[in-house]
Amino acid sequence: MSIPFHLYLPIAGNSVNVLAILGLGGAVGLLSGIFGVGGGFLMTPLLIMMGIPPTVAAASDSNQIVGASTSGTLAHFRLGNVDFKMGFILLLGGVAGGALGVQIIKILRQMGNADFLINLTYVLMLGFVGGYMFIESLQSMQKTKSGRTEAPKARKSVYSAVVGRLPFQTEFTRSGIRLSALVPLVLGTLVGVLAAIMGVGGGFIMVPVMVYLLRMPMHVVVGTSLFQILFTCVNVTIMQSVQNHTVDFVLALLLLIGSSIGAQLGAKVGRKLGGDQLKILLASLVLIIMGKMLYELLARPDILLAYVGGH
Amino acid sequence: MRQLTLLGLALVLGLAAASIAPVAGAAELTFSVEPASVTIDTFYDGRTLAVRGQAPAGSAVVVRVVGEKSELHMKEKGKVFGLLWMNLDSLAFSGVPSVFIAAASTGFFDLGPAGEALGLSGLEATIGVEGAVADKPALVAELVNLKKQEGLYREDQGLVRLGQGADGSATFSADIGLPSRLSPGTYRVEAFALQGGAVVAQGGSLLPASLVSTPAFLARMAFDHGGLYGVLATVIALLAGLAIGLVFQSKGAH
Repeated sequence: MSIPFHLYLPIAGNSVNVLAILGLGGAVGLLSGIFGVGGGFLMTPLLIMMGIPPTVAAASDSNQIVGASTSGTLAHFRLGNVDFKMGFILLLGGVAGGALGVQIIKILRQMGNADFLINLTYVLMLGFVGGYMFIESLQSMQKTKSGRTEAPKARKSVYSAVVGRLPFQTEFTRSGIRLSALVPLVLGTLVGVLAAIMGVGGGFIMVPVMVYLLRMPMHVVVGTSLFQILFTCVNVTIMQSVQNHTVDFVLALLLLIGSSIGAQLGAKVGRKLGGDQLKILLASLVLIIMGKMLYELLARPDILLAYVGGH
Repeated sequence: MRQLTLLGLALVLGLAAASIAPVAGAAELTFSVEPASVTIDTFYDGRTLAVRGQAPAGSAVVVRVVGEKSELHMKEKGKVFGLLWMNLDSLAFSGVPSVFIAAASTGFFDLGPAGEALGLSGLEATIGVEGAVADKPALVAELVNLKKQEGLYREDQGLVRLGQGADGSATFSADIGLPSRLSPGTYRVEAFALQGGAVVAQGGSLLPASLVSTPAFLARMAFDHGGLYGVLATVIALLAGLAIGLVFQSKGAH
């Protein structure tokens, strides 16, 4: 304890080991750079384990994601992986969806048992998204291995038929797709609603939505997702600072030094991996998180009390 | 800021008034606390309080550090459909001290009822629970367990050392480690001398803990100028992310 590796966090009201926080930031930043997720679902629980109050952990994490996603977006931008047009439209939907989600959660809370619904949505969502991605990318990898190159979109689904007839058809050059601007707007709104209800950034839902429903190439998905997360987290950081005073800047700064470096390395690692490999790894990560949540729901907690405000 | 100061003052006064009611017939116990106040600076990571004093000969001694009491809103976890553990009903605990450290010259159970009441089991009896809950004592015990895990509540048996004083009285000393998770506020250091299961002498003093240097500046910014603080935190995070990104660009360039 004599080595001055501890810093006191004024808002969290606790002192932490600087190296542990830098390391945590680095690890989560790496995942963020590889997969285009904010990593809040990993970072927040780990911070709480280190003795940071839940509300401060979540708010400071948003603050650090601003830095990590700036760094990640820049790295992906240089690799030509950010579709700004798509990002803006999704963001617009996301903001509207977020506002709507906050209202929905108020109604749920009044009805009671909101936490039950939130947890259930979370686990089902993670299970569905992770499972679907895992199976799909596994099949795709096997096909590539066996050398069969079937036309993947030979079967015209009802979804693509409907999407094809919508107005405002727009060219998204960076993603190499053409579709109605209404599609990302509506999907962005839906993700925004879900993210607000679950109290998360929504990167892990947005990425599969972009891959499977918008049919964007995986690498562009990662860059565009990071670009969008940047704006979401700027908004959350300022709102939390004004309303709840829960952003610990010292904590955020330490985390973001680690995570910005991690995000840069992540972008490089991601480039070495194929789209299917990226998808299957992200799917595994999502399934692991689901497993952890399911375990927490089924096993008796150590302490039968929870602070209000954590998620 | 003025409101905060007033609130702080009210809390201090309330704390002083609500401190352990003097036991009838108990003499004044004098002791010294070193340091007399705690400064929480950038490198604060817990501090040791040295408590030294004199007690009537043949007494056992309990020294406590107790934080300000407040109300705490929490959620109770319970099973839904007999299967899933969830946050269920909201409840409020009242009279929850931010810190509770009790050190004794022996085990708390060996001190008799009055001694036991000075430890964590005594604290549990003073914490109230509001809300539609069935088993209040069990919930308070859970709360105390949670605070123990957080390093905020503690019983240190045998930590208080007793010695022989010059005039036949006993001396006592205890080095009490304050938690690293310390919030600014006013804490109360209390000492009790016990004989035959009853308190025979007691005393108390206030221990202010305040933020200084960078933590004080940041806390003032965050609470008094939340908007500016948020914008600055965002801008600095953005610039740091950009700077690190640019460093890697120049490194990566061939």
